[in-house]
Amino acid sequence: MAGDSGQQALLDDIVAKLELALKRRYGEASRVENTSIATLGASNRTLLFDLVEPSGRRRLVLRQETLKSEVSPFISPHDQFEILKVVYRHGVLVPEPIFELEPQDDLDVGYVMACVEGETLPKTLLNAPEFEVARKNFAAQTGEIFAKLHAIDPAEVGFLEKVVDSVDPLAAQISRYDAYCEYHPGLDVGIRWLENNRPKDKPRVFVHGDYRNGNVILSPDGIEAVLDWECAHIGSAMEDFGWVCLRAWRFGNIDQPVGGFGPRDEFYRAYTSNGGQVIDEEDIRWWEIFGSLRWAVLNMMQADGHLTGVRRSLPFACCGRNTSMIEYDMLMTIKGHFS
Amino acid sequence: MSQDKPDIKEILVTVKQLLESIASNSKGSERYDALCGAFLLSVVDRELELGERQDESQSGELQHLLGREGTLADLYQQFCQQVRRGEMDEEWPAAFDFAFKQVIDKVSVTNPNYLADMHRPG
Repeated sequence: MAGDSGQQALLDDIVAKLELALKRRYGEASRVENTSIATLGASNRTLLFDLVEPSGRRRLVLRQETLKSEVSPFISPHDQFEILKVVYRHGVLVPEPIFELEPQDDLDVGYVMACVEGETLPKTLLNAPEFEVARKNFAAQTGEIFAKLHAIDPAEVGFLEKVVDSVDPLAAQISRYDAYCEYHPGLDVGIRWLENNRPKDKPRVFVHGDYRNGNVILSPDGIEAVLDWECAHIGSAMEDFGWVCLRAWRFGNIDQPVGGFGPRDEFYRAYTSNGGQVIDEEDIRWWEIFGSLRWAVLNMMQADGHLTGVRRSLPFACCGRNTSMIEYDMLMTIKGHFS
Repeated sequence: MSQDKPDIKEILVTVKQLLESIASNSKGSERYDALCGAFLLSVVDRELELGERQDESQSGELQHLLGREGTLADLYQQFCQQVRRGEMDEEWPAAFDFAFKQVIDKVSVTNPNYLADMHRPG
């Protein structure tokens, strides 16, 4: 972990380069103000700043890729930016894409987008009184968003066909699991169950891949923007349903399957009444069990970052042991005890 | 194991109390790191208490299931590979039960409060 002074030096360096990048695009008079590092996420660094021009001020967000690993499960920032442009054009609630970083910016790879005001912290969203209306709306609003997203012609994001998760999502997770050379009997039993119960082929649609409580910005009125498109791919619409209902994303509100916010029926009804395809609950259950495998492997990835020294961190160390609880969810769901 | 005082358990409790006190007097990432540290020490505490017995019992079950001997790490590897290749499909209930028990053992160490009532000890 970088100390405070190391963090400040890093921030100063990024801000200096960012200001030059903005001057190249918006003229010499443009400046950067009010910077703050919002998150040091698993795969990205997020920096908030004001772009100040003679004509006015805009709050923007810089996203830079921080994870560089051969087994990274995330699509490139370039592809993420292309996706943002497509979904923004289709009216899906996302931050407006502003510009992509170029080599001469010397800021690694990433992009700049508009800043959307709101809250993303799951426990705050699930408990704070001011989000009561947003909580009530979440399941139905998510159904509407999924309907709009899944209706986009996958040819518009045809570059996602090459992503391993678009080819065979289960094989992609197995190969990531194998990369860590760990043996988890629970996961392998789950994998075998998934292999033996694969859903029938469904129409292939554009899926977000990481839509969940924590990756959505909410205001007190409801959903304002969908973030974190780095797991987008082409696949079954039911995959997005399984992921948002994963037990881990309910943050203790286990009786409210849709992100801890609301019930399945409102969610499914909103999807189909907005033009979404027929809901297949057995498929969704399969994708929830698949989601446990995926979440366990992501936790192994975090622990690996700690153990290899790439990103030493106590929370990442905890992730390694958290896999046991995810395996428990997986097997309890297969047994029919959890839903 | 040293017979001198404090014993391992007491050392763990002492350092865990320090981390909890740091957590209650700090904010942000420092607080979160301290809480994670305290959590990891509680994992160590439970693993010291339960680990040996769990290892022995799992080892016995795996030797019976796989019909071979080996270290627990070897047996895990063998089990996982055979399950993956479908070689345990004919003994699926037994294979599933072993994996389930192993997972419950692990959760008993990591976070026993996470277990459903049906799997809580006692």
